[in-house]
Amino acid sequence: MSSPESTFIREANDLLQVLEEVLLELESTPDNPDQVDAAFRALHTLKGSGAMFGFGALAGFTHHFEDAFDQLREGRAKVSPELIAVSLDSRDHLASLLALGPDTEAPAGLQADGAVLLARLGELMGVSSDNSSADPVEVDAQSPEQTTLCRWSISFTPEPAALKNGFRPDLLWDELAQLGSLQLTCLDDRVPALETFDPAECYLRWEIELETSAPREQIEDVFIFCMDAEIEIDALDAAEAEVTPDQTPDQTPGPQTPVADTAKANTAPPVASKSESVRVDAHRLDDLMDQLGELVIAQARLKSISDTLKDPRLESTVEEIEALVTGLRDTTLSIRMLPVSMVFGKFRRVIRDLSVELGKPAQLISEGGETEVDKNIIDCLTEPLVHMIRNSVDHGVEDEATRSAVGKPSMATILLKASQSGGEVLISITDDGAGLDAEAIRTRAIERGLLSEDQEVSTEALYQLIFEPGFSTAKNVSSVSGRGVGMDAVRRVVDDLRGSIDVKSTPGKGTEVTLRLPLTLAIIDGLLVDVDGDRFVLPLSSVEECVDLPFSENEREDGRTILRIRDQLVPYLSLDTLFGYNSSAREGRRVAIVNADGQRIGLVVDDVLGQLQTVIKPLSPFHRSVEELAGATILGDGSIALILDVNALVRRATNNLIAA
Amino acid sequence: MAKTVLSVDDSASIREMMAFALEPRGYRVVQAEDGVDGLNKMGANKIDLVITDLNMPRMNGIEMTRAIRANARFDGVPIVLLTTEGQREKMLAGKAAGAVGWIVKPFDEQKICGIVKKMIG
Amino acid sequence: MSQQTTSRPTGQIHHLTPHSSGTETLLTFVLSGQSFGVSVDRVTEIMDPQKTARVPNANPLAPTLINVRGSVVPVLDLRNRLGMKPAHQLHTSRMLVIDTTVNGEICKIAVMADEVKDVIEAVIDDLETVPELGIRWPVGCFRGVSKRQDDIVILLDADTVFALPTH
Repeated sequence: MSSPESTFIREANDLLQVLEEVLLELESTPDNPDQVDAAFRALHTLKGSGAMFGFGALAGFTHHFEDAFDQLREGRAKVSPELIAVSLDSRDHLASLLALGPDTEAPAGLQADGAVLLARLGELMGVSSDNSSADPVEVDAQSPEQTTLCRWSISFTPEPAALKNGFRPDLLWDELAQLGSLQLTCLDDRVPALETFDPAECYLRWEIELETSAPREQIEDVFIFCMDAEIEIDALDAAEAEVTPDQTPDQTPGPQTPVADTAKANTAPPVASKSESVRVDAHRLDDLMDQLGELVIAQARLKSISDTLKDPRLESTVEEIEALVTGLRDTTLSIRMLPVSMVFGKFRRVIRDLSVELGKPAQLISEGGETEVDKNIIDCLTEPLVHMIRNSVDHGVEDEATRSAVGKPSMATILLKASQSGGEVLISITDDGAGLDAEAIRTRAIERGLLSEDQEVSTEALYQLIFEPGFSTAKNVSSVSGRGVGMDAVRRVVDDLRGSIDVKSTPGKGTEVTLRLPLTLAIIDGLLVDVDGDRFVLPLSSVEECVDLPFSENEREDGRTILRIRDQLVPYLSLDTLFGYNSSAREGRRVAIVNADGQRIGLVVDDVLGQLQTVIKPLSPFHRSVEELAGATILGDGSIALILDVNALVRRATNNLIAA
Repeated sequence: MAKTVLSVDDSASIREMMAFALEPRGYRVVQAEDGVDGLNKMGANKIDLVITDLNMPRMNGIEMTRAIRANARFDGVPIVLLTTEGQREKMLAGKAAGAVGWIVKPFDEQKICGIVKKMIG
Repeated sequence: MSQQTTSRPTGQIHHLTPHSSGTETLLTFVLSGQSFGVSVDRVTEIMDPQKTARVPNANPLAPTLINVRGSVVPVLDLRNRLGMKPAHQLHTSRMLVIDTTVNGEICKIAVMADEVKDVIEAVIDDLETVPELGIRWPVGCFRGVSKRQDDIVILLDADTVFALPTH
């Protein structure tokens, strides 16, 4: 595929996205002329360019689609829910045609779909789909060839502004000369005296005799861009050519007298509403990020060497470099940030289709769409969010009858909210449905061996169980949400993104699921800790505080591992035991209190070495499957520190405890 | 020096198509994405021919044509409009503004090259 | 033949001689007295032993990580893989960094060798010609053998020897 073609495909996809958004807007505000205009413009562009890049079927279909919106624009038809439905289906059809690729004929099934859509469209607009199209203005020379030579007399008087407008008499004559033998006479009888002479105007006219076997249309063709000129083309009798004395045309180029400058830019450009932006290949951004990561690590190494050398001049330069690198890093990170609304946009369509399919009217409201998040994170979020929305509508939202029985509006509301807090992005999906049934979850968990009958767990911990594989309390598993495999996949994606999920629910009122995600995947703010001589990094976003481990805990024999912090009882785990490393019973060990899946837990380490900001390096396939590890990083002294996935770590540890 | 064509269109695919068609034939193609950009490019380059779309943000093709024609520095540079069929009034307005003619979309490589050759050789 | 000891990573190793058919250019090294060979174009570095970082709860076949020029590279326990007894590091021990493909992904791994020997152009014979090998070593790790003077160099099949361990 050539580059213009792939550019067109990108543009067309953008247009189709805009079209979908506009159609959804129109559905809720049908009388908005701006939206109708916007839809028309998008279709117009698609039609115009489609044929040029090998998408004939697409252009043809769009032609009728555009006609419909033209009628809407002119007020000859009105927006109706059926029209929106057909339009959305038609937009989908266009997407399918686009996906075929250039110069590819549509399979019979797709063609049939198209015909059905056009028929529906036609019915709604009260017009039978005819193939009317304005005649092209240009004339193609299609006349039969004449082999007889004919003499023509052409009189040509260009309009006064012709030269200014770029008329090139020499090229015109070249073209005519290609048709046959040419005799040119230039007449200057209209050239005025010098006082009134305007050098930008064309006062000349020409009389031409042309002997050619070309048809009249071909001669006329030569002049197609001179239509404002006076042109007369007469066929003469095919007689012997009379030689007309050549009169050298008196062409006065004239001095470059500055013509009175009528305001050069008399149309002052309106305030640029279009923001300056550049399209960049995503992998270039990734390359940039990689190189930046190496720079950050090298700079840390430099600093660590400088610290040992203690040369003040070196130190100040190193500090300067550190500031520059930090600035560069922040700028690079911000380049990769995109507003969450990019993902939110797709969901309106999802909800609309869902509510139609399930027969539960539901609307999507979104807040905070301008919140920005790393592109890589946005790319991964779509599927999980779609799944959670589907879950809400399918399982959370009650049917209309039940809702009205309890006094809820028949239209359910799904609220999608995004906000930034500290170094994290919070994305939440809230529905006003029936809420989670804690008892049902508990029963199912016991069935699946995740809980023992007499085990006491908090409601929050119960809610977290919905993310276990194969866990679905839904009695009817609809095709929409799948067989309960969805939620664990959601958690896996969130884990990979080093995030966490929080679930809150009020029976009868609704459920709120909140995703906490880091702003970026490439760089992490962490707490560096030491466990048996090895270094590890705990994501700072998970760490709430650090306390000392009372020495008495080391002596504890009763197997209880709970600390009292202020008035709270906080269970703790020892990382050295978890990792199978040597346990140190020394004094002065520290406990990092972290938030794992919504619960406070202490992680005992030998030492807390400080905070750091560093680049995350992904692990090789050999260690990727170790869930507790989120990656690795290289410290200033060249040693390796592993980055821990706190949620997975705690989960694994508690599962082991339950299994035991 | 190679003859230079200014392709003004808010659609990158159309501009690329122009370059794709004309550059192998020895023309230089400068691209602009709307009327304002087009004027800037006119000022910064020696343009021999302008081929412009009509509907563009910030400043459309006809407004740009008027602005170019109003600047004596650009006298003699022909302007050709790119239109889709059925835009007769626009085309006439374009001519009134100083364009020499129009090309109807869709166009192919051959058509564009033929017209460019006709206009600037 | 003794190998010059260098104290810095020696970088990319290039082919010394062009291939003739049936021969391969191998880098040879020793583990517990046995000579092994690996295709020379797979080896990207020979380094002095580096400080390793333990990977908690990792498969014993890939227990640690090292820093190779800013990359985090897993160290594979080749002795374990080949069913050999563990042994101490020697002063001649070196780490080989090898390119390999795992599940279609290109990655680097490192293995420790007691001693790195020459790069040789070896005539490769089938494994069957040395039947006792089939008894001593795990199946599928080797591609062939090269018999030289009084030594047998066992040619490692990088793709299977360094494959992802299945639990």
